[in-house]
Amino acid sequence: MLETVNRIWRSGYRDLFAQTIIYIAVAFVCVVFIWILSDLIRGGIAHISWDFLIESPRDAGRAGGIGSILVSTLLLLLVALVVALPLAWTTAILLAEYVPVTSKFGITVRYSLQVLAGVPSIVFGLFGNAFFSIYLGLGFSILSGGLTLACMLLPILVSTAEAGLRALPDSYRLSAAALGLSRSATLFQLLLPAAAPTLAAGLLLGIGRALAETAALLFTSGYVERMPGSLLDSGRALALHIFDLSMNVPGGDAPANASALVLVALLLGINIFAMKLAYGLQRKRII
Amino acid sequence: MFSSKRSAFWIAILVLIGFACLVPGVAAAQKLVLTGSSTIAPLVGEFARRFESLNQGVRVDVQTGGSSRGMNDTRNKIANIGMVSRAMKANESDLHAFTIALDGVGIILHINNPVTSLSKQQVIDIYSGKITNWQAVGGKNARITVVNKAEGRSTLELFLAYFGMKNSAIKPHIIIGDNQQGIKTIAGNVNAIGYVSIGAAEHAAGYRVPIKLIALDGHEASVANVRNGSFPLSRPLNLITASIPQGLTKDFITFSRSQQVHDLIEAQYFVPVSDD
Repeated sequence: MLETVNRIWRSGYRDLFAQTIIYIAVAFVCVVFIWILSDLIRGGIAHISWDFLIESPRDAGRAGGIGSILVSTLLLLLVALVVALPLAWTTAILLAEYVPVTSKFGITVRYSLQVLAGVPSIVFGLFGNAFFSIYLGLGFSILSGGLTLACMLLPILVSTAEAGLRALPDSYRLSAAALGLSRSATLFQLLLPAAAPTLAAGLLLGIGRALAETAALLFTSGYVERMPGSLLDSGRALALHIFDLSMNVPGGDAPANASALVLVALLLGINIFAMKLAYGLQRKRII
Repeated sequence: MFSSKRSAFWIAILVLIGFACLVPGVAAAQKLVLTGSSTIAPLVGEFARRFESLNQGVRVDVQTGGSSRGMNDTRNKIANIGMVSRAMKANESDLHAFTIALDGVGIILHINNPVTSLSKQQVIDIYSGKITNWQAVGGKNARITVVNKAEGRSTLELFLAYFGMKNSAIKPHIIIGDNQQGIKTIAGNVNAIGYVSIGAAEHAAGYRVPIKLIALDGHEASVANVRNGSFPLSRPLNLITASIPQGLTKDFITFSRSQQVHDLIEAQYFVPVSDD
């Protein structure tokens, strides 16, 4: 009797211990995020105003705003996504729906994407500089920067989309076949909407990586802070601007913090928008 | 309700695409491309803005990536003008250099470090690892943290040349890239020693960053002493071209060496070349 009580007490103690560890880990993660955010807010909130968001930088970024840089950043992101999304999602559909898991072709494609995912971004930058900027003659331009980013995004977008499609139960596909739905109808009416949240999550990872990119863009889209007149103009990305202000410009810390705050806000905004969109699509098509 | 959500989505897409297309592809009449030193890039970026406002239809694109890249790109004709933040070497006589400003390199310590001056030999001994404690040069009993610059930085080359050292002889604890990184590293470590651009250090010290410039061999490290040439550790900031500059390139270089930009040079904490 005493022994049983003892054992129960001991196992309860162990549970409590595990629970405490988990809570501490979660609290730690939150503290890191809140710490970074509060640091940015403390250093940058006084610098942020409407003018800061729409003006071009002056005096090497110490004065003025980040209007032209925001435009360049969004154009870079747009080019990268327009190029990478169709390529990546069709590849993922091929890998998940049309090719058996064990096929040589599928394994080769998957393996090369894994290698690509592990390549440091500076290598993409040097490749983009050599190929897009010099060989194709695009020079330092938003177009060559966006294309370089697209290369970087491919592995993330493909692997998340493929995992999302594979995670759908096979009963979906079988039921669709039993109902006489064509393969493409199954794909567009059922599988893609059902996988939409995963696709959106992958998209967000990609956008996050693209917005945070510094090294690859220094060599491709360049350092010019003027408002871009076309996609063939050089334009400075927001992350590169933050890097330059904090590392190269004496007295650039306040605008650097403010720009970082804008970057975080931008990411949060895109996050919320994309998740809403994905769940909306899923509910509308499936439930 | 669904359709409103859907149309909102399509409107967003259309706005984005329209945004990309609306930005017109106006090709500027004339365009200059500059690449090179990250120290010079913010300064020349300011020159470029003023030059553009004075010359209609001209565009000056300033890129960065380091002095070595500036030389490469100029030689390969990818850039019209390169930016190099050191004096030219003998084997670089194929390039034409034009000094636009001067920059001094000063030794910095944390403000709570009691040491106020170091001799040339003491600096050499600290950086080569012979002196490892501040006590040996009149400071507190604490281990010295040696902060060095990364390979390929002009400040490093200038430092090595002045002290007659090889980079392999230096025993650094921390390796840094840009000036601001150096200043932040020293500000966060009471026992660290490093070297950065004097202009950047004076500006940081003026904004109560806890660092100080110390005298080197009795020469006080200040922008004023760089200007009158009495501070030994200084470097020219150069614009370089692959051939004798002509046309727009020549105009921009002449503009960069004129009185019209002295206020910009001083605003970036460099020293204008006085005899121009």
